[in-house]
Amino acid sequence: MNVVRRVGLALLAPAIALVVAAIISAFVILAIGEDPLVALRELVNFGDNSASQMQAVAVILNRAIPLFLAGLAVSIGFRMGLFNIGVEGQYRLATIMAAWVGTAVVLPRPVQLLLIIVVAMAVGAIWAGIAGILKVTRGVSEVISTIMLNFIAIGLASYLLTGPFRGTPEGSLTVATEDLPESGRLPGLNGVMASLGLAEPRSELYGFLIPAIVVGVLVAILVKRTRFGFDLKASGLNPTAATASGVNARAMVVKAMLLSGALAGLIGLPDLVGDTYHYGTEFTSGLGFLGIAVALLGRNNPLGIAFGALLFGFLDRAALSLQFAGIPSQVVTIIQGTIVLAVVIANEVARRIAIRQAERTGANLPTARPVAGEQQATVAQ
Amino acid sequence: MTSSSEAVAPPAVELQGITKRFPGVVANSDINLVVRRGEVHAIVGENGAGKSTLMKTLYGMHRPDEGSVHVAGTEQHFKSPADAIAAGIGMVHQHFMLADNLTVLENIVLGSEPKSRGALDFGAARRKILEISAAYGLDLEPDTLVEDLGVGDRQRVEIAKVLYRGATTLILDEPTAVLVPQEVDELFGNLAELKGEGLTVIFISHKLDEVRKVADTITVIRRGTTVGTADPKTVTARQLAEMMVGTELPTPETRESTVTEDVVLGVEDLSVLLPTGRTVVDGVSFRVHRGEVVGIAGVEGNGQSELVEAIMGLQPLAGGRLTFGAEDMTSWTTRERRDGGVGFIPEDRHRQALLLDAALWENRILGNQTRPPARKGIFIDRGASRNSCKNIMKEYDVRAPGCDTLAVALSGGNQQKLIVGREMSGEPKLLIAAHPTRGVDVGAQAVIWELLKTARHDGLAIILISADLDELIGLSDTLYVMFRGKLVAQLDPGDVTPEQLGTHMTGAAA
Repeated sequence: MNVVRRVGLALLAPAIALVVAAIISAFVILAIGEDPLVALRELVNFGDNSASQMQAVAVILNRAIPLFLAGLAVSIGFRMGLFNIGVEGQYRLATIMAAWVGTAVVLPRPVQLLLIIVVAMAVGAIWAGIAGILKVTRGVSEVISTIMLNFIAIGLASYLLTGPFRGTPEGSLTVATEDLPESGRLPGLNGVMASLGLAEPRSELYGFLIPAIVVGVLVAILVKRTRFGFDLKASGLNPTAATASGVNARAMVVKAMLLSGALAGLIGLPDLVGDTYHYGTEFTSGLGFLGIAVALLGRNNPLGIAFGALLFGFLDRAALSLQFAGIPSQVVTIIQGTIVLAVVIANEVARRIAIRQAERTGANLPTARPVAGEQQATVAQ
Repeated sequence: MTSSSEAVAPPAVELQGITKRFPGVVANSDINLVVRRGEVHAIVGENGAGKSTLMKTLYGMHRPDEGSVHVAGTEQHFKSPADAIAAGIGMVHQHFMLADNLTVLENIVLGSEPKSRGALDFGAARRKILEISAAYGLDLEPDTLVEDLGVGDRQRVEIAKVLYRGATTLILDEPTAVLVPQEVDELFGNLAELKGEGLTVIFISHKLDEVRKVADTITVIRRGTTVGTADPKTVTARQLAEMMVGTELPTPETRESTVTEDVVLGVEDLSVLLPTGRTVVDGVSFRVHRGEVVGIAGVEGNGQSELVEAIMGLQPLAGGRLTFGAEDMTSWTTRERRDGGVGFIPEDRHRQALLLDAALWENRILGNQTRPPARKGIFIDRGASRNSCKNIMKEYDVRAPGCDTLAVALSGGNQQKLIVGREMSGEPKLLIAAHPTRGVDVGAQAVIWELLKTARHDGLAIILISADLDELIGLSDTLYVMFRGKLVAQLDPGDVTPEQLGTHMTGAAA
């Protein structure tokens, strides 16, 4: 019953937080002289026919997939108290390298796609690994080093894009890598949806949805069921006790950063292999930072992160239609920020309540065999 | 005590009936303390006896649940350290809180900067600091960078910081823990100056010889409450130790010897350096046999903790060798040592032995992740871990609602029994038990003693570190005394008297 209560509390907290965030956002919209109800209508208005409704679903999912991967990447570090702020740089560098390798060779489709994925994960891991190694050998805070590495990665990506990896001719308006060959593209899922009897959306639903779900399940198993996951959790909860239990703290830092970076490497792939087929100046940016918010929303739990990513995707979809209704699209960003703050606060409050409850349960227990009817005071430090 | 002037002047600090509870534990209960003006008043007690909790109450870092605090005759309800400072109480922390890249002057004024028409007035600050320095013999150079200062100098800066804020009562939390002997003497000189100027000093320590040297009055705290005061001129270290540890506990007498010839652990010429370069373990050698309990006595802070951590692979060695059975263990990682059969009951269970925010079954497998029942390939076998947790709860009398309870919900005694059960169930060949019964109630203590005795009978080799002399003498087959990082004596627990042990512990016999 204790477990049920704890889970209930864990779900109740974000629910309350969402309501609070909605109320605050409503006041913000009122303050800029617009009608919150109009905004709400635009948020939930998916269109009046099944095709446009499916289109809305596809847009939300297509946005949620990279956010989910970004949230997973950040959560690995968070689990052991490491702040990988460098997910942004890791995925940008990983995506351009993957885009380039993907055009440099032509292999059968599964092999080609696998190569692209492996290259992206490797580049992300290496870039994050630099911060991990700096931390264990030189004591450099990973917050600082990953932020700095972001600048380097973005600069490096720009150089590669305008220099050696440039695929568009000189003088053309867009700067991008060459398009991936057919074998490097992952087909969308619209065909599958049609075969399920659903209306086909206008845009392709990314085929990367499937690998993303697989990665999510694997990460969930890894962090919850394996020894590595246990060591990760122990290192996060109490580094000293983890070390005393035989966890090699330094190796854990490097491993966690490598894994976080490898996952970060995947973030750009849904767009790359499913839509744009090249990395260019207009490639989606900012996913790494949004991943931090998504991981916070999801409390580092893969299922929670999926919800967080879907929520962000849902809100982002409305940005355009809000503008049509005369409401600035920045309202969406405000709502997102409010939600993250509210959820983080609510989670912390819920955690404290849970611990207090646990302590109260403990305080009411018999401490030990009473000796001669007299109970000695148990002493804290 | 009876002079008329003291009847008029109220005590500098008076605590009456202070009780402070934390969830599940009573850290202080019914503390009574009278500190007279112009004295050095030592508060002694084991680690975990509640000294720090008490000082935090006095310094306004938390509020007591019961009892009253009087400063100079006025009742005070401190809400924060700022209130305590305003009432003239200052605290010199054990760990210095100084900014290395600022000068002595800047560090002292930090947070209470002198202003003159909105601008910083360093001139006035400098004059005041030099006055303080001269008045109390602190010998400060205001413009030196703190990073260029030694430990003793830094401590004087901390003291000056407190005096600069107008403190008339100074709390020094284990001030000698970080000092070498010469620096200790200098500190005691400074304290005498402070006393001479009419200031009051509350000196927290567990080093018995030091408090006897420096204090005017000694108050002893045991298990969260004040057990009495002593006159340092007449009390012996042995008597103080008895007051600190208590003698009412059942003596953990062991029966017939079970010591065998098989050496389980060999420690050869082991040395450990602190990052500061101070030698904390200095050429220690000893052996532990199958079925033997090797006790290491010593006043805390003489290198026992570092010795234990070095044996567990948690401290880098500056020199020496460790053998485990026939193998050289020196370069093994902590995990290899644990997997090889070394169990570890650390001295600070919250810091080193538990994940307080995790379930009991997860705490059950902490340190045993790589072995059954937890291990199933690369996975953690949750079912088997839970079952094993339930068994331990039953066998070792851990009182908790179930294995999904968070460790934080358990009382100290139950947490400790879980830890002992966990380490024992790994069937270790060697168990390192550091203060295995610290902070647990008498019932749990008896259970733990019984467990250790049974395990020894079954052939376990045990290293026992304890501040409880009865526990050491009662359980040990071989008893060493550690003093300033060295094993200074080997005693036979069969005929050593507590007085002899006390003399060795304070270094007086060396």
